[in-house]
Amino acid sequence: MDRREILDQVRKSSEHLKGIFDDEVETIIVDRRYGFINGIYKKVVSRPAIERLSASDQIDRVVLNRVLGIPIFLFLMWLMFKFTFTLSEVPMGWVESGQEWLGNIFGRFFPAESAFQSLVVEGIIGGVGSVIIFVPIIFLLFFCMAILEDSGYMARAAFVMDRFMHKIGLHGRSFIPMILGLGCNIPGIMACRTIDQERDRLTTILVNPFMSCGARLPVYALLIGAFFPEKGGTVLYSIYILGIVMAIVMAKLFRKYLFPGPAAPFVMELPPYRIPTIKGVIIHMWERGVLYLKKAGTIILAGCVLVWFLGNFPWSPEYSKDYDRLKQEVKADSASGLITKAARDESIANLENEQAREKMEKSYLGGLGRIIEPVVKPLGFDWKIGVGLFGGFIAKEIVVGTLGTLYAVGEADEESAPLRERIQRDTWPDGRKIYTPLTAFTLMVFTLLYMPCVAAIGVIYRETNSWKWPLFAAGYTTAVAWVVSFIVYQGGRLIGLG
Amino acid sequence: MAKKITIALAGNPNSGKTTIFNNLTGSRQHVGNWPGVTVEKKEGSLKYKDYEIKVVDLPGTYSLTAYSLDEVVARNFVVEERPDVVVDIVDASNLERNLYLTTQFMELGVRLVIALNMSDRAEESGHKIDTKKLSELLGVPVVSTIGHKNRGMDELLQAIVDVADGKFDRGNVTPRYGEEIEEEIRKIEELIQRDAGLMQRYAPRWIAIKLLEGDEEVTKKVTGEK
Repeated sequence: MDRREILDQVRKSSEHLKGIFDDEVETIIVDRRYGFINGIYKKVVSRPAIERLSASDQIDRVVLNRVLGIPIFLFLMWLMFKFTFTLSEVPMGWVESGQEWLGNIFGRFFPAESAFQSLVVEGIIGGVGSVIIFVPIIFLLFFCMAILEDSGYMARAAFVMDRFMHKIGLHGRSFIPMILGLGCNIPGIMACRTIDQERDRLTTILVNPFMSCGARLPVYALLIGAFFPEKGGTVLYSIYILGIVMAIVMAKLFRKYLFPGPAAPFVMELPPYRIPTIKGVIIHMWERGVLYLKKAGTIILAGCVLVWFLGNFPWSPEYSKDYDRLKQEVKADSASGLITKAARDESIANLENEQAREKMEKSYLGGLGRIIEPVVKPLGFDWKIGVGLFGGFIAKEIVVGTLGTLYAVGEADEESAPLRERIQRDTWPDGRKIYTPLTAFTLMVFTLLYMPCVAAIGVIYRETNSWKWPLFAAGYTTAVAWVVSFIVYQGGRLIGLG
Repeated sequence: MAKKITIALAGNPNSGKTTIFNNLTGSRQHVGNWPGVTVEKKEGSLKYKDYEIKVVDLPGTYSLTAYSLDEVVARNFVVEERPDVVVDIVDASNLERNLYLTTQFMELGVRLVIALNMSDRAEESGHKIDTKKLSELLGVPVVSTIGHKNRGMDELLQAIVDVADGKFDRGNVTPRYGEEIEEEIRKIEELIQRDAGLMQRYAPRWIAIKLLEGDEEVTKKVTGEK
């Protein structure tokens, strides 16, 4: 056995960690050990009233305060979302105009009306593009989270929550996977390995999908941009908090009925505060954010192409009217002076939109949508949203990607307007708007709560080594999502919203 | 038939370790040197119930790094001689600093009993220590002792024989180092686990951490220099 392999790995690991922390690994390890001890110390020792306190202890006195602790945590979270949302508006605008420009260029580049043009413009640029727009907001959120983690505050948040978590039968350790779940549920679920007791671990795994991961952010960002531009940070914050509350409620239920038993004692580490290094924060942000970009290039691309295919084929369905002949007639009328040029253009545009709509309704996707619509209609969603949510099972961003593709197909003209504006305009057959602020909010709630993505399901399988739990997770989250969305939508209508 | 067990007394300098050693062994002690070095080695023995207990007094240390001779001696004894139980004498009035050594023993994966010594002095200064909670959190039995008044010795011995008999399952409590460092520890641990020679003598997690810390002794052992 060659032990050089071990030493090589040690060297690699040391360098990697040195890069992240900008400090010797040994120092960090010693710091963390004192963090472990500090966590024990704060729990087992009650101290005399007067004592000299270090700076770190003084901060902890406020941040870990029995009364102030949780409000401070909630306030910092709110600040984080406010900051993320406000600051990301400008770069998102850039990406959006870039994407429009690209769509127009490619639209002219390929032969008009060809399947290939449609694939590139509607499927890829419309679908993947609508997901890429949200890169700035995701990177900013990860940036903020990295600062909170690297400074040592997140460990405090877990410590503060520990007392509260005990009330629901878990402990603060379970809170860390939940915080990680805010980036992506997969590392969140994997981090549950540090929880020794099986029933605590299973509970924490099962509620992790309620922690709103970065992939859901595009859905919120799209809807907030369209319907709550003034209160963006607050609405976003309320969605994240709803996720945390639901996770806690379900954990309590699981702990009571599914896995009864006492909570195991645990040490919450309290590492000393450190000023986060720019390099460390950037590396953390990058490591998480780049996963999102990779996903856009692979699974989301594949998903959007699939949605495009299902939405466009059969390529020439049997139409209820002969649109080509009708268009010819309009042109002939115009040529013979029966109608004005403006009237001609308008009728042709109407005919084309009607044709596009009929084509989509007769596509495979339209068929799927008709099956889904009755299920989602009580929540105020139309079949397009239903199809989008269906696609979101592959990856949550695909909800947006699908809508991007669907609306790109639905609009017959070549000028691509931002998806945000298109959904604002869409109506039910009777002319009512499909998207009201209430529907938008309900859709955010549903997206937050329903079935975890395929990858998360796979990780739950791996971590529990049984199909029982991933299937259970998929089933119960979707049921919860439907019920909560129903209450939000119908309740909202009762009190006169939307 | 008396059962023979060996225990090691460890603790920070001035934690009252020597007093406890004397309390336990009385006059049955002898003093020598640790092999190869000029560090004093004290050994003693006692009988408790049907146990014959050999007590080895380790040098007083704050940690178990490779930086000082005392620490290397203490560490090597624990790793190589494998005492049945390590008794960590913790100065209750200086809990934070003393627990550092405790975490080191926990990482080594030894069977541990904590003697929370000079608990009277801690209470005088207004510190109240919840020993039950401390024991729960660390997964280690904690016994309050007052060495200079010879208090708590029976309870300590009882805890020692309980642990030696495997009556106390300490679970899997060790400090965690955060996502990034844990990830690297896991990678190194996996490689170590493939090496039967290393596995036999050390806890793989401990080796992985020591290697990351750049511990010279452990690095040398891994490269095979004996």
